[in-house]
Amino acid sequence: MTHRIAPRQLLFFLACLAPLGKLILMPAQLAAETKNDLWLSALLSLAVETLAVFAAVLLAKKGLSLFELLRRSLGRAAAYVGCLLLVLFFLFAAYIPLFEQKLMVQSVFYDTLPSDLLFAPFFLLSLYLCVKPLGCYGRIFDILGPLAAVAFFFLMIFSVGETDFMALAPVGVTGTKVLTGSLHTTAWFFDGALVLAMLGKIDYQKGLAWKSALAYAVGGAAVLLFLAVFYGIFQDIAPVQFFAFSKTAKYFPAINLLGRIDYLFIYAMALAMVFSSLLPLISAAELLRESFGESKLKSLIYSLVLNGAIAALSSVFSFAFPAAERLITRTLFWVFPLFDVLLPLALLPLRAREGRRI
Amino acid sequence: MLPAEDILTFDFLSEGGITFTALFADPVTDKELLGTLVVRPLLHYCGEKSAKAVGERLASPELRSFKDLKELANEVLTGNPVLLWDGMDEALVVGTKKVFVRAVMEPPTGVTVKGPREGFIEDIKINTSMVRRRLKTGELKIKFLKAGRRSKTFIAVCYLEGTANEEVVRGIEKRIEGIDIDVIPDSSYLSDFLCSRPHALIKQVGTTEKPDVFAAKLAEGRVGVLVDGSPIALTLPYLFMEDLQAGEDYFVPPVRATLTRILRLLAMLAAMYLPAFYVAAQLFKLQLFPVKLLLTIAGSIKDIPLSPSLEMLLVLLMLEVLNEASIRMPKYVGMALSVVGALVLGETAVRAGFFSTPAIIIVAFSAIGLYAVPDLIEVTSVVRLFLLLAAGSLGTYGIVLATAFLLLELVTTENYGVPLMAPFSPMLPRDMKDGVVKFGLRSLKTRPAVLKSPNKRRMK
Repeated sequence: MTHRIAPRQLLFFLACLAPLGKLILMPAQLAAETKNDLWLSALLSLAVETLAVFAAVLLAKKGLSLFELLRRSLGRAAAYVGCLLLVLFFLFAAYIPLFEQKLMVQSVFYDTLPSDLLFAPFFLLSLYLCVKPLGCYGRIFDILGPLAAVAFFFLMIFSVGETDFMALAPVGVTGTKVLTGSLHTTAWFFDGALVLAMLGKIDYQKGLAWKSALAYAVGGAAVLLFLAVFYGIFQDIAPVQFFAFSKTAKYFPAINLLGRIDYLFIYAMALAMVFSSLLPLISAAELLRESFGESKLKSLIYSLVLNGAIAALSSVFSFAFPAAERLITRTLFWVFPLFDVLLPLALLPLRAREGRRI
Repeated sequence: MLPAEDILTFDFLSEGGITFTALFADPVTDKELLGTLVVRPLLHYCGEKSAKAVGERLASPELRSFKDLKELANEVLTGNPVLLWDGMDEALVVGTKKVFVRAVMEPPTGVTVKGPREGFIEDIKINTSMVRRRLKTGELKIKFLKAGRRSKTFIAVCYLEGTANEEVVRGIEKRIEGIDIDVIPDSSYLSDFLCSRPHALIKQVGTTEKPDVFAAKLAEGRVGVLVDGSPIALTLPYLFMEDLQAGEDYFVPPVRATLTRILRLLAMLAAMYLPAFYVAAQLFKLQLFPVKLLLTIAGSIKDIPLSPSLEMLLVLLMLEVLNEASIRMPKYVGMALSVVGALVLGETAVRAGFFSTPAIIIVAFSAIGLYAVPDLIEVTSVVRLFLLLAAGSLGTYGIVLATAFLLLELVTTENYGVPLMAPFSPMLPRDMKDGVVKFGLRSLKTRPAVLKSPNKRRMK
């Protein structure tokens, strides 16, 4: 099997799958901070992230993996250090999506709070996914991208009728909170870093960087629409409406008659979220494979180590997620733009010099 | 001393004074043909003793000469008598094999309302003739190979030269030549050797019993494999989409074909997922039911002593047993069995309070739904069970995780470099014209791109 990501698959990822993680806890978090201006904060973050994605995809032009790019530009030692740092970043970045996933599952999939043991199969799946080369996921994007888009479309159709868009006015009253809101939600924006892990697997075509930025902007627009709908429905109680995407459609009139048909679309999105929430871990495993070899045994070891680490982290902070989330989003928020925005931008000139140093 | 009681010899003297011996296997040799084609012409033979001269006298169109004793023995066992005589340089083998065949009939797995009704039978020669009758071109290549140390089964690899991908043809031939097994009784044995992941649950080799479908697949650029003794032909590379397409789709208007394909897909998905969702909804997420339906279900399950997952599992198990028994039983007993099964399952079990009515309805629908795509039933029935177990233990989230696992398996499986899930993953928009949505014949101008045929265009 060829482990390549076709341009279309990358675009599906950026437009349809990358936005999914931003629909779970982030809307409530933003609403708490910037109220009706939540979409402005998100717009700011999305604009910066679009730049990061553009830079990261531009790096794919040479067809080199991140490790290879660093090795040819800065030497082997720097390549190891760079990749290991990024692996640690992915472990750090994976915490919120995975915990979000857990909380979402508890809330959306069960009427009563289930035992933590129910998440063991999730880690088994994660263990299996991390063994597979990242290039395999291109084909997953082909299926899940359209599926997530269709599911999102129907959820929006169900929700939009109950939305009071006037709740978003007046615009800009929260002033500088728009900026702090954006800074405090950086943990949900590291798609540029995910693209870095895909380097060397992307079949680069002319203009792909622009197309990627556009696709990401389309996904971003969907997030903004969702935030607007979310705030338009819940307004003052929006800050306590976690797992937002599962709640906006429940006021659709036909649900009384047909039951929670919106769950069909919520589950479709949850299926796509399984993959999108695991992408940081899968990316970390891929970077380890690039750096230290990719035999089957080694792949299994990387997967065991990464999943073991994140499982340990999750169980240690099992009851302290709000504190851990606060630490990540309020104190360590700068880590995300460092790896996600600055790293791809810093690598761009390296790409230019790399030809001379081979 | 002859090796077996059914291996016989027949000696006769020609007018020229040469004693000929015909060595043949009694049950598989057409003795009348042996007399007409071999004995009668040679009774008056007065010529040379060379195989060439003797052969020229025989009236057989299928004549070969051999020196190797092993090959001669093989020919005798296949039904072709060996002709021996004093002073010969080579032995002659005459093609007078006795052919036992049943009539060409409509295959039970490919019944159509419109379209050809012929089906393959167990004889490879008749099967290849049915293919050649549909593809009257020199480009149709039929390469005969043998596999099975003891069965020495004939295998015909069929493809259109210049249309099929040569790498796939070579790959298939190489895999067949590499088979080291004593007996190949059926093509299903062979399909195990022709797929890249033999232990996977997912089907990787296409099957058909219809020569028209077989020929159409060859024309698309696939390679077909016929096995002597089996009415089921194999086609490679296989795409998941193939089983959602029925032969009839090409003989009805495209809109009708599209609707039927969507129906098949939905029926298959519902059949696999409905029992699992029903159990998960009861156990973990009652909100999935509309209120009125919930009240009805609650009324019918309130006295059921079993848990929803165990109840569904038992009903499914009973259905599988019933299904298995009804296939194997003689037809007249099968009718009685159906009545007993329907009564036991449909009436008595519900009245006795073992099972609830909704469970029976869901399993019945699931059973029918799976047969909307009969070629995938071996896979879908197992997936249904797998999903049910996931739902029973983890609820709807279990279904999502099981689906994720299944999806990953589906998209990463490929055979001979062709992804199983094409044209959906990888997405090939041009190939989608014959996907779930069926375009008109005039739109299908190119062969499926995923098959990498050297001759891409099939219509101008």
